[in-house]
Amino acid sequence: MDDKKECLTGNCPTPIEADVGSIRLSEGSGGREMQELISQIRSKLGAESDWKNTQDDAASIDFAGKKLVFTSDSYVVTPIFFPGGNIGKIAFCGTVNDLAVMGARPLGLSLSFVLEEGFSKKDFFSIVETIGELSKKHGVPIVTGDTKVVEHGSVDKIIINTSGVGSAEIILDEPLEVGDQIIVSGGIGEHGTALLARRFELETLIETDSKPLWDEINSVRGLIRQAKDVTRGGLAAILNEIAEKNGKQFLINEEKIPIEHEVRALTEVLGIELYNLACEGRFVCIASHKNSDEVVQKLKQFNKHACVVGEVLDGKNVIVQTRFGKKVLNMPHGNIVPRIC
Amino acid sequence: MNEYIEKINTLARDMGEVKIMEVCGGHTNTIMRYGIRDILPANIKLISGPGCPVCVTSQYDIDCAIELALGGVKLATYGDMIHVPGTKTSLLDARARGADVKVIYSADQIVGEKDRVFFAVGFETTTPMTATMLKNNIPVFCAHKLIPPAMKILVGEMNIQGFIDPGHVSTIIGSDIWGELNIPVPQVISGFKPEALVRATCILLELIKNKEVKVVNDYPEVVFGKGNLLAKKLIEETMKPVDAEWRGMGVIPGSGLAPRNELLDARIIYKDLFKNIVSREYPGCRCGEIVRGMVEPRECPFFGTVCTPENPQGACMVSESEGACAIAYKYGKSLAE
Repeated sequence: MDDKKECLTGNCPTPIEADVGSIRLSEGSGGREMQELISQIRSKLGAESDWKNTQDDAASIDFAGKKLVFTSDSYVVTPIFFPGGNIGKIAFCGTVNDLAVMGARPLGLSLSFVLEEGFSKKDFFSIVETIGELSKKHGVPIVTGDTKVVEHGSVDKIIINTSGVGSAEIILDEPLEVGDQIIVSGGIGEHGTALLARRFELETLIETDSKPLWDEINSVRGLIRQAKDVTRGGLAAILNEIAEKNGKQFLINEEKIPIEHEVRALTEVLGIELYNLACEGRFVCIASHKNSDEVVQKLKQFNKHACVVGEVLDGKNVIVQTRFGKKVLNMPHGNIVPRIC
Repeated sequence: MNEYIEKINTLARDMGEVKIMEVCGGHTNTIMRYGIRDILPANIKLISGPGCPVCVTSQYDIDCAIELALGGVKLATYGDMIHVPGTKTSLLDARARGADVKVIYSADQIVGEKDRVFFAVGFETTTPMTATMLKNNIPVFCAHKLIPPAMKILVGEMNIQGFIDPGHVSTIIGSDIWGELNIPVPQVISGFKPEALVRATCILLELIKNKEVKVVNDYPEVVFGKGNLLAKKLIEETMKPVDAEWRGMGVIPGSGLAPRNELLDARIIYKDLFKNIVSREYPGCRCGEIVRGMVEPRECPFFGTVCTPENPQGACMVSESEGACAIAYKYGKSLAE
């Protein structure tokens, strides 16, 4: 075997020795492999407690007559600055939104950084200022935090972790009924498009949709049964998660899904499924048929594209009615990869 | 749109079984995403062709790329390629073990890195980018494939009655070349919207019915007779046609490209790394038949069971935008399942 590594031309560098049992990138990309990794982690932790919703966006516990809600998230993104925002904005909004979709008013956040030696101070403080402005504007204080600096090459510029605590009167977790309406709060995929456009150096007017969703959810939380923010796996992941959790079928009318022309164009240029594009400031909520008009009217005050996109049925799967026929919309997997040809 | 569907139904009524091949994986994606096969009459069969760069790359070429990476050579390639299973492992696993494999989308991401080898795959669409790299003295392991020679083989062995020609490939090579191929069936160059593919099917059925053998350019907004002259010149300057091995189709004469400058040809530079490679496909994997349109992805016993997009065993399960199996997995689930 060894002689195959022998190099006669003198061009072949030293081989790399095999190392088994490494974490693979796909175990962090939101698909089935990540679910398996998480369940392995859970099995090693495994302590029972009074906390509920531990499989949801945020966990809750009864405390002083209210529900205390807690969540945590780490943020890495390439590029760290993109049209309409930066990693700081999604680190703030992402955690606020994980609380908001549970029906919880965000009370305060922690903010921790892991910084790479050599990372630009100007860029760093620009990120911190973004978080500071959002914190003041939305009345969600940053109350604790931590900063570490690691050697050049140990991380890619910056990793941010935010955790958040919120309080709710009622957790938004009411069972769904057949005939309930599925509502999206605005145009889909703008954050993903802004990132991809920057990554592929394509010019676009599309900016990230990243924003805190508490005001929007607060305005409708008495009228809706459940809500979930659309994040990394896009609409495909979120619809599948809600449908599966509730044991219902979702029928989505593709023509009704609000999508900006440029978002659609970019997905077609790159060969990317638009249902898989990330959002950071949109949510899906489900309301009874009776309440759905009022919910849409209220949400339209925040985003004129809010609308009903589908209906809850008995059965399973997310079914999309395209302009040609019905298709099952699967859970996305792996990273978003543009087509080659 | 309904007029085309109606016309297809009318035309199909007095025709026997008609096999039309959509050569391009991007077309397969649109056809599956919108369920176009389901709205066609039962006797009109759209068959997925070999137009997926990942799928047609031979197992040997994949193994060579992995051998380069594990051998310590810095590599760059397209995102989907790192997931393709070689005989023993994949570039993704090689990277997890410490190999330097960079995923790129554009030549300028590695311009200046003259010690990094570009593992080049794809059809005529992507060859101009490889040509740009060669112009910049970046060494290339070239696994490019040319579509027209493969179509000449498929038309005979698969009894295809009409081709939907690839849109993006045609933007580079132009529409004239399809006519010069002298294949005995009609061809329509199509765009990628679902409406375009329904229309292409309709035009083909009409041509087949009237026994008219000609090429219709139904994507004239971007496809021109002579193609992209600048790109073609760049390719001609930097690469030469060679015989190439395709997955499932064996060696097709003149269907590949190699750098003209041997000093930039990684197959030659690192030939000693490749001398002991023994390539073998996953036993029972039907990718070879799938790229030729002989079987449907679901006819493979591994489809959706041991072979999934998360853990592909065969090359056709890798690319979600072009690979027949990955597309069928994504969009082909029946409503009853």
